[in-house]
Amino acid sequence: MKYSIVFVILSLSSCLATVPRPRGVSISMASYYQPGAKFRCLDGTKEYPFEYVNDDYCDCPDGSDEPGTSACQNGKFHCTNAGYRPTNILSSRVNDGICDCCDGTDEWDGNIECVNNCKELGKKMREEADRVRLLQEAGYQKKLQNIKEGKQMREEKKVELEELQKSKVDLEASKDEMEARKNEAETPEKEAKEKHEQAWNELVELKKAEKEKLRAEIAFAELDTNGDSKIDVSEIKVHSMFDVDSNGEVSDEEALEHLEEALEADLEHFTLKVWPNIKDVYKAPGTESKGDNQDDVEENKASSSDIPEVEGYDDDDDYIDDDDDDDIDDEDDGYMDEEVKEDTGNNEEEDKMPDYDDETKSLIAIADEARQQFTEADNNLRDTENKIRDLESYLGNDYGPEDEYSILKDNCYEYTDREYTYKLCAYSRATQRPKNGGSETTLGNWGRWDGPSDDKYAAQRYENGQGCWNGPNRSVKVHFKCGTENRVTSASEPSRCEYAFDFETPSRCTAPPNRSSDDIHDEL
Amino acid sequence: MNWLLLCVLLISVVEILSVSRENFKTCDQSGFCKRHRAMQPGSSPYVVLMDSIKIFESSTVELQILNTKNNVRLLLQVSALKDNTARVKINELDPIKKRYEIPVGDALVGEPKLQNMKVLERTDGSITLGFEDNKILITSKPFRIDFINNDEAVVSINTQGLLKFEHYRKKETPPAQEETADGQESDTNNEEQQEGGDEAGEENKEETPQEEEESGMWEETFKNFHDSKPFGPSSVGMDVSFPGFEHVYGIPQHADSFALKTTKSTDPYRLFNLDVFEYELYNPMALYGSIPVMMAHNEKRTVGIFWHNAAETWIDISSNTADKNFLSKMADLVNGGSNEIPQTDTHWMSESGVIDIFIMLGPSAHDVYYQYAQLTGTTNLPPLFGISYHQCRWNYNDQEDVKNVDANFDLYDIPYDVIWLDIEHTDGKRYFTWDGEKFPNSEEMINNVAAKGRKMVTIVDPHLKRDDNFAVYKEAKDLDHMVKNKDGNEYDGWCWPGSSSWPDFTNPEVRRWWATKFLLDNYKGSTPALFTWNDMNEPSVFNGPEITFHKDVIHMDGFENRDMHNLYGQYVLQATSEGLLLRSENKERPFVLSRAFFAGSQRYGAIWTGDNMGEWGHLKISLPMLLSINLAGVTFSGADVGGFFKNPDAELLTRWYQAGAFQPFFRAHAHIDTKRREPYIQPEENMKIIRQAIIARYSYLPLWYTLFYEGETKGIAPMRPLWVEYPADKNTFTMDDEYLLGTSLLVKPITEQGQTGTQVYFPGQNELWYDVETFKLYNGGQSVYVDAPLSKIPVFQRGGSIVPRKLRIRRSSSLMVHDPFTLIVCLDKKESAKGNLYVDDYHSFNYRRGEYLHREFTFDQNEFRSQSVDVHGNISTKEWIEKIIVVGLNKEPSKAVLNVKGKEPQILQWEYSSYDKELIIRKPGVNIATDFSIQLS
Repeated sequence: MKYSIVFVILSLSSCLATVPRPRGVSISMASYYQPGAKFRCLDGTKEYPFEYVNDDYCDCPDGSDEPGTSACQNGKFHCTNAGYRPTNILSSRVNDGICDCCDGTDEWDGNIECVNNCKELGKKMREEADRVRLLQEAGYQKKLQNIKEGKQMREEKKVELEELQKSKVDLEASKDEMEARKNEAETPEKEAKEKHEQAWNELVELKKAEKEKLRAEIAFAELDTNGDSKIDVSEIKVHSMFDVDSNGEVSDEEALEHLEEALEADLEHFTLKVWPNIKDVYKAPGTESKGDNQDDVEENKASSSDIPEVEGYDDDDDYIDDDDDDDIDDEDDGYMDEEVKEDTGNNEEEDKMPDYDDETKSLIAIADEARQQFTEADNNLRDTENKIRDLESYLGNDYGPEDEYSILKDNCYEYTDREYTYKLCAYSRATQRPKNGGSETTLGNWGRWDGPSDDKYAAQRYENGQGCWNGPNRSVKVHFKCGTENRVTSASEPSRCEYAFDFETPSRCTAPPNRSSDDIHDEL
Repeated sequence: MNWLLLCVLLISVVEILSVSRENFKTCDQSGFCKRHRAMQPGSSPYVVLMDSIKIFESSTVELQILNTKNNVRLLLQVSALKDNTARVKINELDPIKKRYEIPVGDALVGEPKLQNMKVLERTDGSITLGFEDNKILITSKPFRIDFINNDEAVVSINTQGLLKFEHYRKKETPPAQEETADGQESDTNNEEQQEGGDEAGEENKEETPQEEEESGMWEETFKNFHDSKPFGPSSVGMDVSFPGFEHVYGIPQHADSFALKTTKSTDPYRLFNLDVFEYELYNPMALYGSIPVMMAHNEKRTVGIFWHNAAETWIDISSNTADKNFLSKMADLVNGGSNEIPQTDTHWMSESGVIDIFIMLGPSAHDVYYQYAQLTGTTNLPPLFGISYHQCRWNYNDQEDVKNVDANFDLYDIPYDVIWLDIEHTDGKRYFTWDGEKFPNSEEMINNVAAKGRKMVTIVDPHLKRDDNFAVYKEAKDLDHMVKNKDGNEYDGWCWPGSSSWPDFTNPEVRRWWATKFLLDNYKGSTPALFTWNDMNEPSVFNGPEITFHKDVIHMDGFENRDMHNLYGQYVLQATSEGLLLRSENKERPFVLSRAFFAGSQRYGAIWTGDNMGEWGHLKISLPMLLSINLAGVTFSGADVGGFFKNPDAELLTRWYQAGAFQPFFRAHAHIDTKRREPYIQPEENMKIIRQAIIARYSYLPLWYTLFYEGETKGIAPMRPLWVEYPADKNTFTMDDEYLLGTSLLVKPITEQGQTGTQVYFPGQNELWYDVETFKLYNGGQSVYVDAPLSKIPVFQRGGSIVPRKLRIRRSSSLMVHDPFTLIVCLDKKESAKGNLYVDDYHSFNYRRGEYLHREFTFDQNEFRSQSVDVHGNISTKEWIEKIIVVGLNKEPSKAVLNVKGKEPQILQWEYSSYDKELIIRKPGVNIATDFSIQLS
């Protein structure tokens, strides 16, 4: 019963096709399906009566006995699609209620009515092919230009590199010479400056010692209440400032300790031994218990032990050391001198260091001149080295087999969608900026060409962008497509923090196909 | 020991990577759990007042129970129900405030059917009731109830005396003065002294104030969340023992072994629906769903209990030996003498409500499944697409993305039925809306997907963005449909859209309102091919205590969330399911997936195991988790294939697909932070194997569909532990790495990294098992190492079974509905086999009007027969039988004759392999609705 239906449909379809063949068989395979003869599975494994062909039961392991039904899971159904492109569809798509072939031949069991739209599709396909060809032609012309420019650029850069490498040798020599001259001029300068500064420092020390001695004498007089030119234990004990353990009284031991184990101290002993130890706590008698401003300052100083009193002075030494450093130029020196002035002026009543003498000044001027010349030579060399590095980097990059992508280098391309403006700076980095303001996020830095192994230049990867919370560092894959302009045509984030840009460029266009090789219709 | 060290290391690693435990309460941090757990066995103050007995309709006995410590009286009701089930209900006799009881029809499918019960014996201290083969022995002092079947106690209640019923009481104010007023002004104390015995009175004096003083009764604080507890303590608890049972199962959802563990050294198992971020494996912590159902099984019988309470519940489990003296005295159980009877004790504690226990007395596991189904209903037969393969991801970003994924499945010839859209498809997480930029024409998108017989699902969560421009929110607010906070204002919590409110789904009126939101006119941009996913319905509240509602949130009739927390999610699911029914005017079967669930959720949709991880351990745990959930009646359930969090490698993903293909609900899903992992993106070898796994699923859809039909009618789960079918085989009692699909397939998925084989236990001494791919034969009653390279899923068909398959795999299941069947007949030792097939239109409710076929296939004495087993069903279908494969046939036939009534006998062709003992009968070509036989000779 079922056989007969299949057979009727089969013979009907045979009438329609130019070569008689079972349903779902292409012309090129028709010869394997000969009515009357036994059917041998195309893989040669088995042989069946011809009635088993398209009887809706899968017999052959390769599915070849059921080209027109859905019986074999591994079978193929051939749609002729006259007016369009013939295709093979999976057997599982035969009679499944979906029109897969544009000629509708895959849905022959009547469950669904398919409209033959092969002609429309064919027309569209040819229009599309024309459009693509035009695009490719236009794009390809630009690509040729890009190639030309890219190669020219490469040549220019090479030449420039060679020149720079040559001049680099000269510049190195020049720099070395200037450095030697500078060193030569700096030695006498340094000696002269040091000499001058040492003399000044000695003077300062002397003044300071004198001042301290004077303070000691005053204190001695103040403490020596009985005026016997000696200070004894009892004269110490009356002053609470010597109450080291703060127990309310100055004990004999405490007093003796202050007197450095002498029962009484004359001025000399006091000045040399006692004063240095008590000067920090010493307050003129009569002021010690009142707590006026002076007290506060003194207390603060005593408590904050990490700020020594003569800090400013130590700093001066540092600055002077700095002066010796070759790298500090004159301007800096001047600035620091001023600061020293201020510091010392505030903390200690001392005069500023007198100017250098004329001889030293002229030595400094000579050294300044040498330093300036050296700096110039050094900068020139560095500039050249940077240029060389840039050129080498440029020449080291892969701009495609014919340098056709070098045109993109140092150019940035923007694309804006609903939320973000994306920016691709070719061979540099890709970023994203929210449209409503906010900071830019680096999506990736230039990584490598990343197309499939047989089409490496189909895509670029920008990687190691900003990290994602709970995810990888951001990265972008840029897919190149043929177009007449260089532009980003879409940006998306298919996986969290993995972005994809589509980029149109003439450089991706291939030579337009030869019209004669147009193989749209292989059968009618 | 090295392995011990390794274990410790592994555990600590797991802890670092996963759940923040401190977000969730321990028993100690849950006031009532701590109070109940601190109780000592053997000192129950509860006695039954035997004189108070009343008998209603010869099926219910009412008795009063007195708490001799505080003289509060309880009302005990014991009923006999149809189908070998009993019910024990304990409530306050005279509460000052109505205690919450789950409305009939919500967890229970309807009022349970009573049956007659006889009073067999009455003494001063006990009463014995009888129904079917059972006796119910109620003992007065101390109160206990024993359920005795054929003179063996099988379930006993309050044998440890852990009954504790916290009656509603007035708050003593101010509490600080209570001590001075103690014993003089307190009414309860006065009563105690009058009524209680002397000794009891003495005890009361000391104990009662102590009970009152316990902290946490009138307010509790967890982390910085305050629970105002305006009604004070209200918890209930009791112990239930299973004498003679070593193993208990159920009480999902926990990420733990199938056979439940004793909780002596851990917290009790907790049932409290929670959104647990990156949950941990092998512990009793609460998860997204709660079903307070437990089965106990031994070689002789299976029994079960259903603790009908939707409040936060904790369950302690311990091993014990039965109290032989008591049992032998009461039930004449003196047979061996010295043999110790094992016993499992369980202790159930709920924060609120009443004690309402259903005791399902089996005696077989099938009986218990049926008995439980009579109480809470069965899983409705899903539409065919529901049990097919689902492709989900958070998120498919836009229409183009959906189109590409759809196209890639076709390009790589991988079938799928449903593509899902997670929260990002909406306009700012306003459910029922679309992101207009990404989905400007959602109807067209759905129609394009539906053109290949496929469906779409969008997520619709219960939290509504508090935005007056969002119509659904505005309407719910204006209708006063929202859940209220303790002060009576609209509850405001944080979820995906930010500040949100939640409709009070406990209210039937709110559910009806919600249902209308799914009408095509209301849900703009939807079509009849769009179905629904309810996520976050525990509910998840990002800034709430334990990431959920405050317990003092107020629902309908002034009840608190404390009273029915575990039901909220199910109400959301129910309302959504009813919405889809409303949309099709009850013609089309709805499909809704829910994350939260409770007893009865099976009536409304599918559930999944929530946010698992792309780790081997999570693949492995999916089996015991699903076995537990299936045991508790929610049979349409699955785990996210691949794991939600993290990036599974290709091997794990492949093995997960293989496992998922043989689990009831089969959906791949992934977190937004993970890499894309659709099958076609995988390395070619893995892609092909995954495709084969999905194809295997589609080829077995007739079996799945038939099993789900059986489930709707009998309550039995398609996915079953081995002991359900091999009840006397002790080897299977703790087995949870392999399982049965129906009675015919044995499944043992590979869940370990790098494994290329596995030890498979083949149950049944006289059974034969056949590898479904190679038909290699294995004898039952033994464990055999089976090779399982990456491409292999160890699945075996039982000798004696006939499994219907469809081997013409299409792009989606609905494209296969007219396709022919292949019947796989695996013969047993007697060379016979049996199987059945259910067929209908695969999508509508017409089957309820008799438009279906239920066929039975038999093979016996060299004859294959196909006949209808249900005269009520009839439908015309194009489906036919293209092939019958008979495996295990020792002798090649010389002739195969097809006999169809009213037709000439027809000779059929065949192929026979004597090596495989496999006969392939070529093209019977008979419509599936037709009775026929094939005689081999």
